[in-house]
Amino acid sequence: MRALLLLTVANIKSFTRDRAALFWTLAFPLIFVFLFGSIFSGGNSARTIGFADLDGTPVSAQLKAAFAGVPNTKLVEGTEEELLTKMRDGEVSSVIVVPKGFAQTVQAKAAPATVTVYTDPSQSAADGGTRQLVGFVLSGQNQAMSGQQPAVVPGFQSVQTNDLSFISYLVPSILGMSLMQLGVFSAIPLVADREKLILKRLQATPLRRWQLVGSNVLMRLLIAIFQTVIIVGVGSAVFNVQVAGSWLLIGAFVLLGSLTFIALGYVIASFASSEESANGMTSVVQFPLMFLSGTFFPIDAMPDALRTIARAMPLTYLGDGLRQVMVSGTPFSPLWVCFAVLIGWLVVCFGIAARFFRWQ
Amino acid sequence: MTPSTTSAADAVIRVEALRKTYGELVAVDGVSFVVRAGEVFGLLGPNGAGKTTTVEVLEGLRKADSGAVTVLGVDAIRHPDELRSRIGVSLQTAALYPKLNVVEVLELFRGFYPSGRPVDELVELMDLGEKRKTRTQDLSGGQRQRLSVALALVNDPELIFLDEPTTGMDPAARRALWDVVLGLKTRGRSILLTTHHMEEAEVLCDRLAIMDHGKILEAGTVDELVSRRFHERAVRFDAIDGLTDEQLGAYPGVTSVKHEGGAVLLYTRDVPDTIGAVLAATDRLGVDPANLAVRRATLEDVFLDLTGRALRD
Repeated sequence: MRALLLLTVANIKSFTRDRAALFWTLAFPLIFVFLFGSIFSGGNSARTIGFADLDGTPVSAQLKAAFAGVPNTKLVEGTEEELLTKMRDGEVSSVIVVPKGFAQTVQAKAAPATVTVYTDPSQSAADGGTRQLVGFVLSGQNQAMSGQQPAVVPGFQSVQTNDLSFISYLVPSILGMSLMQLGVFSAIPLVADREKLILKRLQATPLRRWQLVGSNVLMRLLIAIFQTVIIVGVGSAVFNVQVAGSWLLIGAFVLLGSLTFIALGYVIASFASSEESANGMTSVVQFPLMFLSGTFFPIDAMPDALRTIARAMPLTYLGDGLRQVMVSGTPFSPLWVCFAVLIGWLVVCFGIAARFFRWQ
Repeated sequence: MTPSTTSAADAVIRVEALRKTYGELVAVDGVSFVVRAGEVFGLLGPNGAGKTTTVEVLEGLRKADSGAVTVLGVDAIRHPDELRSRIGVSLQTAALYPKLNVVEVLELFRGFYPSGRPVDELVELMDLGEKRKTRTQDLSGGQRQRLSVALALVNDPELIFLDEPTTGMDPAARRALWDVVLGLKTRGRSILLTTHHMEEAEVLCDRLAIMDHGKILEAGTVDELVSRRFHERAVRFDAIDGLTDEQLGAYPGVTSVKHEGGAVLLYTRDVPDTIGAVLAATDRLGVDPANLAVRRATLEDVFLDLTGRALRD
């Protein structure tokens, strides 16, 4: 056990002193999170909304106060035309127009008063956010004005989970991608150690092979946990991605996913004859996994042929599982299927590596 | 260390009819030899002679095709794991974690064994004090080799395998390593080393075996190997125009004439008479014999005689 821990520490030292490894495992996923996060969640943290009050009554002023009182929201007033120009220029994310005669309609209670909301559906995060915001504010208003319990509770809370914003989709996807890379890349130092005869030299010591493999796996799992904390931490701290599910399930997916892809890394190491060929083979494996597993866009949006490929990819199921557990994403497959497919890949990869891996 | 289970006269290594092939290539072709406890035994031969393959079978790193190998009383082919903690190994190419520094690598390997020598002592012994915190990827070839030997000693093993230990070392470092090897012998350890460096074999080895093309051609002490085939000594001087091999061969005591680079070698049974004849001849020609020297036949001569090739080629 002591030898295993010593070797794990030595592996971690080697890993952290390898700039390329650090870049791919920590910087690369964070770059993705920041890049896509700032593109797709623009104004998410401080939303600017145009508010055109054409009615100018105490009732409409009350509505304005309700919108202004929502945290992280800034109201810009103006005429409808001015505000729509600003929206096209990207200065406000949406425009709310309170029509003339709004107070009268409200007080007559004959028909619901209409508030016009302009949004841009192509900005899915901002669009969804505005819809939620308006729904939230108006339901509060309705309740207050009617003075009685609403007959139907508004369904906007479920809107939040079904209408998953892109960054919420992306954070678990990027976590899955990073775990994939961490595992697949285990092939490269392994082949390098074999090429440098380190594996052979270790064979001449009392160290057993299970200790050697165990220390490599243990190191990768520790880094996987570190990666998870960093990626999820940045996602929730900077981009307000909420973690809805159980940490136990998230942990189970992180560990199972890492093990599966480490096993895939060992498969690559079994067939790579040199460090260069291991480098090439990891690229050949990781890029299709990255782009055909629903990491950056849902696989439902793919053509049928690609979707068939995606259904075979282990990363599809790791990403899907993580999204379901973390942000209650729309399931592509039930959770147990995600677990089963990952375990299947793990068993197959382990079997191939056990059969073909060479120590010298 | 644990009390040795072998007395001085016992064999620490016994190899019988060892054979190992790689496809068509016969790397080791029926090799047999014995290494006694407390001695330095050398496998001397050119690159590709089968030395490394032989040693790696003894270390339990390779499976033999046939033959029997007993190391420290253990069948090294069937039960290599029983040997691991009792032997020390330095591979032909130093195998080191590139990103770890000297002390980190030593402490890592030290941790694999229940007992052994302190890391600081080994750093001192191998003169790596100035490189303690240097990553192994930044060491010179000679320093890497020294670290590799230090790693072979972390468990204070009974038997040490050193495969070409002085490769890449400058003459000073090479002599320092020889002192280390002789020091290990003084501590009662047994050492098997391979080399293609003749002087190294002469200085270090109590006994040695000359290997070529996977076979042991001859084995014994240096004196035995030399005197077995050379009764003569060699008178050596730079070749002189006007003295033909026929003339030289007719001098008193001379048995044969050979050339080595620009020098003439007169193998002779009577050194004073031969030198007298050479001096008389050069006197007549009015020249001085340059670099005149007398030497005994060496392992180099033995190897040349056995294989028809020089050892270092």
